[in-house]
Amino acid sequence: MPLTANLDLLTPEFALAGLAFLVFAADLVLPEGRKHWLGWLSVAGLLALIAVSVIMLWGVEETLYNGLLAVDDFSLWFKVLFMVIGVFIILSSMDFVSERLEHQGEFYGIVLFSVLGMNVMAQSRELLTAYIALELLSFSLYVLAAYARDNAKSNESGLKYIIIGAFSSAILLYGVSMVYGVLGVTKFEAIAAGLAAIPDTGAVSPSLWVGVALILVGLGFKVAAVPFHMWAPDVYEGAPYPITAYLSIGSKAAAFALVLRLAAEGFVPVGDRWEQWQLILAVLAAVTMLVGNLVALAQRNLKRLMAYSSIGHSGFILAGVAALSLDSNLPSNGVMLYLVGYSATNFVVFGGLISFFNMTGKEMMSDLAGLGGTQPFLAASIAIGMFSLAGLPIFAGFAIKFYLFTAVADEGFLWLAGLAVFASLVSLYYYLQVVRQMYIEPAEGEPAYGHGYGYEHVDAEHGEQGAGHNESGEGDEPAPARRYGAAQFETHPALGRRPSVTVIAVLGAGLLAVFWIGVYPSPLLDTIEAASKAILS
Amino acid sequence: MQWAWLIPVFSFAVAPVIVLAGGRLTALSRVPGGAVLSIAAIGAGFAFFWIALLGWMDASAGTESCYVAAGTEALTCNYERTWFNAGLPGLDGSVALTWGFFVDPLTIAMLGLVTFVALMVQIYSLGYMHGDPRINWYFAVHALFAASMLTIILADSFLLLYVAWELVGVCSYLLIGFWHERPAAREAAKKAFIVTRIGDVGLLVGILLLWREVGTFSMTDAFAAVQAGTMGEGVTIAAALLLFLGAMGKSAQIPFHVWLPDAMEGPTPVSALIHAATMVVAGVFLVARAFPLFEAYNATPLLVVAIVGLVTALVTSTIALVATDIKRILAYSTVSHLGLMMLSLGAFGYTAAIFHLLAHGFAKALLFLGAGSVIHSTEEQEISRLGGLRKVMPLTTLVFAIGAMSLGGIPILAGFWSKDEILQAVSQGRNPAFIVFALITALLSALYMGRALFATFFGKLPQELEHTHESPPVMTVPLALLAILAVGFGFISFNWPGAFGGFGYFVFFHEGHGFEFTWWIGILSGVMAVGAFVFTWMVYERGSISLESARRRFAPLLRVVENKYYFDEIYQWTIDRVVLVFAGFVAFFDRAIVNDIGINGPADTVRRLGVALRLHVTGHLYSYALAMTLGVVALGIFWWLITA
Repeated sequence: MPLTANLDLLTPEFALAGLAFLVFAADLVLPEGRKHWLGWLSVAGLLALIAVSVIMLWGVEETLYNGLLAVDDFSLWFKVLFMVIGVFIILSSMDFVSERLEHQGEFYGIVLFSVLGMNVMAQSRELLTAYIALELLSFSLYVLAAYARDNAKSNESGLKYIIIGAFSSAILLYGVSMVYGVLGVTKFEAIAAGLAAIPDTGAVSPSLWVGVALILVGLGFKVAAVPFHMWAPDVYEGAPYPITAYLSIGSKAAAFALVLRLAAEGFVPVGDRWEQWQLILAVLAAVTMLVGNLVALAQRNLKRLMAYSSIGHSGFILAGVAALSLDSNLPSNGVMLYLVGYSATNFVVFGGLISFFNMTGKEMMSDLAGLGGTQPFLAASIAIGMFSLAGLPIFAGFAIKFYLFTAVADEGFLWLAGLAVFASLVSLYYYLQVVRQMYIEPAEGEPAYGHGYGYEHVDAEHGEQGAGHNESGEGDEPAPARRYGAAQFETHPALGRRPSVTVIAVLGAGLLAVFWIGVYPSPLLDTIEAASKAILS
Repeated sequence: MQWAWLIPVFSFAVAPVIVLAGGRLTALSRVPGGAVLSIAAIGAGFAFFWIALLGWMDASAGTESCYVAAGTEALTCNYERTWFNAGLPGLDGSVALTWGFFVDPLTIAMLGLVTFVALMVQIYSLGYMHGDPRINWYFAVHALFAASMLTIILADSFLLLYVAWELVGVCSYLLIGFWHERPAAREAAKKAFIVTRIGDVGLLVGILLLWREVGTFSMTDAFAAVQAGTMGEGVTIAAALLLFLGAMGKSAQIPFHVWLPDAMEGPTPVSALIHAATMVVAGVFLVARAFPLFEAYNATPLLVVAIVGLVTALVTSTIALVATDIKRILAYSTVSHLGLMMLSLGAFGYTAAIFHLLAHGFAKALLFLGAGSVIHSTEEQEISRLGGLRKVMPLTTLVFAIGAMSLGGIPILAGFWSKDEILQAVSQGRNPAFIVFALITALLSALYMGRALFATFFGKLPQELEHTHESPPVMTVPLALLAILAVGFGFISFNWPGAFGGFGYFVFFHEGHGFEFTWWIGILSGVMAVGAFVFTWMVYERGSISLESARRRFAPLLRVVENKYYFDEIYQWTIDRVVLVFAGFVAFFDRAIVNDIGINGPADTVRRLGVALRLHVTGHLYSYALAMTLGVVALGIFWWLITA
């Protein structure tokens, strides 16, 4: 069979690349002031591609290029996830980009390229193909992180990211070459076969497991697993806000897609040896969730807080990867469910935070004080997102944590599941700190208890029989200017504005998803089950 | 019929919309936006009730998902979906949590009651709550309440039932305290919530006990286990009694009855819907739903049900006789009738209990709304300061009289038939002492109804009420519709020719049975009711009988009854002297040991650890690279240790 026999299966990828070039080209002819059309063009293109992918690839199970790429339910599932993430990221960055960045067209084009890289990562079944896709994603992200060119922090962010990224790429490649050196193959299945062929009693060549360990380090960098996580807070803090969101959602999901396929197809079928390696992954997961959540306690900058939060969540997901086994689909289901729920929740949180940043230009936790009074919808969205991240019920966070942790415990890692529950408990503290800032702390320059919530009336009235609320004395109707959080208006007049339609759309859709996954995840789990079957057969 | 789950969903869906957008909708129309949405949702629910009813009548045991349930022997349709599938450590396989619903005669009957009364009450509220600044919030909670109540009725698993059960409790709390500027309303809301919560604990423990025995929350599975005998006698009886504890709280049975009269602090339509017609009957419904549990092993729990019901009915009807607030009279009357329903269930009168539940629901909603009409027009609810209203509010007088006579048991009105069924069931199912006390309760019920009617609407019209007007049509039309049911609803219990053989062939347990009429009970109760009404008429309209001498002679007894048998005082003493003292000790332990040492200690440690760990991210690239390299080395060593 020629290598290009079923090339048409890659239509979504070709079309995506075409879309990116189209955005670049249109950027050249569009006059300033109309550049935001490019964002809408990208969104429309991605939505169309989601539809095309689902219609075309539903239930298809084939391989391309002699097995380098797989087109199966797993790839399709992740492709749809990545493109949805792309849609959300572009929607939530539109205001930010048109107000605070130059060169809009290239921004959207590069985001599209990174989505392409993620799509290929989910499909690749061979180390070097995966590496190339990973680099496409990474290079897009290096550029995006440094996109605010006249901002020193953004430059620092991009520089740190690319240097550490290059370092870890080198480690990854070194690992790939060592595995190739011992086994002579780079395809996942062939690695599994090669590993299985080593007799149990025979000595394993040290260069083999060093190679595997180095690959693990390279991927651990992508998901920000401890101790390969240190770039994350700096890069997250400096990057433009929507890119911070993108790093914590898209880049992480893509890396885990690759890790899942590599582990499920390359390592899990090996049997006994995988059971040994599970412990290493479990320890990595444990350290990651502990360090991420503990250090988050000490953060005051919202972006850094979200960076450590995302490190903590990486730990949870890694626990699911460590629990992968041939007997049960639960861990891989759990990882995928977690990725969806975590992404939806983070969209809600970042959607609110980005909108807040657009209005005020502030990114410290204390700046949020009084937001519950000035921007009730944004504040409520962020609060719900925080509750969900902490894993409180009826939100997505509870359902995904419950599913993943039970799966981990079910596979014999009871201690890890217990630790994860403990780490979640710790995380509640810093997530609630944010909620507290918005609803309890007064904005700067205000007395501790604002007017307008009617506390005084109730207190004064206590014990008076049946005194009507409106008859109880002076100053009943709080003037609008004295609303809770009103002091914020003085420093940030923009906080009086209503959030833009795109923000409301992103938050609305995200909130719906958060509630839906939290209350009735069964339909979603059905699709995940199909994806799991594709890699764990 | 498989769409019956939409009935609560309509109302569930509109509740948040009203909260978020009600104000904006109001700006668009003259009617409060929340009211439009809420009424439309419950109206849709009412329409779907008919769809469910007709679908059920078309169905047979062969229809998909339908079968003749063991135990009730009624045609039951059960639709179920998996809600959540999860593997739990220590359990074989995965646990499927399901949500699903029943469409069976009990459900359908209750659906009809709840959707219709809720629709009437919400329309009525348009007039009653007109101009209230929080009217959208009012309708939002009303919608949420309707949705939760309907979910209780439809639920096919104890878990779903419990969730909805708690939700109606929350709605009740919010609506009792709707005018939370009034301290009395706040106190009443708290009281209702806390008192019912004590019963709810029993319900929860009962549900968990069943789950432990059966492994699922499904009611069908639990009943099957009972019937198959796999659930032991002790467990079955314990579970039934624990469920009954929940039912006692919700249905305000002694000793939990204290919250219901206080709940009258809420707006009157709320009292009509929640604290008369629907939520408070949830307890009766629960016992009926779980009847296979109560009935197993010689029906020991049913004896408890019967005794609690009888005591409640008797005690509270005496309080109703001396209460002076028209809403409180009705409230104690509600408790008393709930007791009668429980008594009926306890005497194996399943059909009679549900029949009375419905007849009482229509009549009592009518009475409350009628009282609301009075309160709306006069802003007065003490019957001693009311009187003669028939001259200024003729329509309200008419419908209130219908409601009072129906509930008082005047022959051929709905209440007469349903009460008769109960008396008959008691006379057959329990020993003679029960029927004697039940008849006394029936007499008392006619007396206090006559008193409420004649003291309010007859006699002399006080001067300051001379300019009172009849309420607007938006309030009187629902009253008229309910009045029709209060008159004619009883006829559905007759032996009708054709497919519908009468209520006894619709809602039944084990086997359907036709309409029977025991002449001595019927004549006795009819004569007593008429006599009671004539007597009260003579007291309050004619003034030809004076109660003064009787009042003086029984002064000490009267004082006990007027003080509601000192239940509240005893509870208050217990709370002050026992509960709070113990709570003080627990609070000290909690603060000093649990909080300071147990929580803050570790929490501070964790936070300090976080602060210290923060320093490892230095901002220097070389240290990041160093950390990665050290990580590689550590990983290599670890790997080597494991494989070697």
